[in-house]
Amino acid sequence: MLDLQGYGPSILDGARLTVAVALVSLAIAMLLGLITALAKLSGMRAAVIAATVYTTIIRGVPDLVLMLLIFFGGQVLVNDLAPMVGYDEYVDINPFIAGCLTIGFIFGAYMGETFRGAILAVPVGLLEAGAAYGMSRGQVLIRILIPQMMRHALPGFGNNWLVLMKTTALVSVIGLEDMVRKAGLAAGATREPFPFYFAVGILFLAFTTLSVLALRWAEKHYSAGVRQV
Amino acid sequence: MHETASGRAAEHHALVCEDIHKSFGTLEVLKGVSLSAHKGDVIAMLGSSGSGKSTFLRCINLLETPNSGQVFVGGELIRMATDKRGEPQAVDRRQVERLRTRLAMVFQSFNLWSHMTVLQNVIEAPVHVLKKPKREAIEQAEALLEKVGIRARKNDYPAHLSGGQQQRVAIARALAMDPDVMLFDEPTSALDPELVNEVLKVIKDLAEEGRTMIVVTHEMGFAREVSTETVFLHEGRVEEAGPPQEVFEHPKSERFQQFLAGTLK
Repeated sequence: MLDLQGYGPSILDGARLTVAVALVSLAIAMLLGLITALAKLSGMRAAVIAATVYTTIIRGVPDLVLMLLIFFGGQVLVNDLAPMVGYDEYVDINPFIAGCLTIGFIFGAYMGETFRGAILAVPVGLLEAGAAYGMSRGQVLIRILIPQMMRHALPGFGNNWLVLMKTTALVSVIGLEDMVRKAGLAAGATREPFPFYFAVGILFLAFTTLSVLALRWAEKHYSAGVRQV
Repeated sequence: MHETASGRAAEHHALVCEDIHKSFGTLEVLKGVSLSAHKGDVIAMLGSSGSGKSTFLRCINLLETPNSGQVFVGGELIRMATDKRGEPQAVDRRQVERLRTRLAMVFQSFNLWSHMTVLQNVIEAPVHVLKKPKREAIEQAEALLEKVGIRARKNDYPAHLSGGQQQRVAIARALAMDPDVMLFDEPTSALDPELVNEVLKVIKDLAEEGRTMIVVTHEMGFAREVSTETVFLHEGRVEEAGPPQEVFEHPKSERFQQFLAGTLK
């Protein structure tokens, strides 16, 4: 059996943080992704340009570089700006918030592309029917567009989510005590890297397997009403 | 703004459209179409494809915004203006949303919400737009589904119904709004021939109940038998309009004569 030499609870603590970072990042990514997709499809010049710049930059720069840039660069930026608004104390950016924002920001770009494709797959007539029955734009979005597009978005969404979860390992570089960092600490102290990283690998695999099952259920749920061919 | 001469006249009508123009790019699809419907009128709109009849119908509920012209629903003018880029826009979205609930549309390709069951489709707008209590909406929906002969399928998804059944559900969905005017956009054009009659019969029953309807259609027999007024559109203009007995028996316009003879190019 795997001997964690008493570091088991510490790694489980890290696992909780990993899950928290992943879920908060996912929420941010979905919101940004939806906004990006709608911006790209809005036909409004400024919105299209902003969204295109965002997705181009994010998808072209390595995640690790972005993480360091936003956390350390953001720290400097905030401390340069704070005195201008009359705040003189040194501002410490909370690494949890910075980590979630960075990952959410990165995956917002990927989600944006996934959602854009999914929105295009929804028949326009269904949205028109909503408008013709007096729904507001927000109601058409929430009652018709999102439930309709989820079916088309889920395969890409699932991919993004699995990669996002694995990307949380990067938050260890900005000092967050996620399970990867906890395993690193344990490995350093005991000089036995294998059991700790192995345990972390197993935990990631467990999370992703659960996710795949949940996604399978969701695909079934959002395919209700689609004739099986 | 409501005190124009046409506004006063419009008060006595369920629906008035005045001099509607609509262009897509450089293509002028509607070149000044007017129409008015009293309560209980059934207006059949005929015309070959490309005549602008569907575009006109979509201008009534502002699925397309007319470039110029006026639309009055129950005497109330839909306020429109041109934006910075010269595109026509409704001034007040809320007003448009509110008036659209008075104008229920039935589409050529049904456009039922495929992620909802038949019953959910029918109660969706009453519950979420009209804010009706759900229980009341369900009761009403079941009665309407009974009326269009499809209550037994209420828990099925649209994809499992035939085209004719889907269109009947779409009609029930429209009726659930208790609209002042119903807009039918070629309701039978997407149907297999053997399914056309079941839908036409439902629409005919509604006409007999005194529903106010504008029906864009290719069904001559239906227009002739059911409409109180037949309007023939050609190249974005009204070529011929009048009671069906008159226009079908003694068509004045040469183009309508050609259309009836099936030789209009």
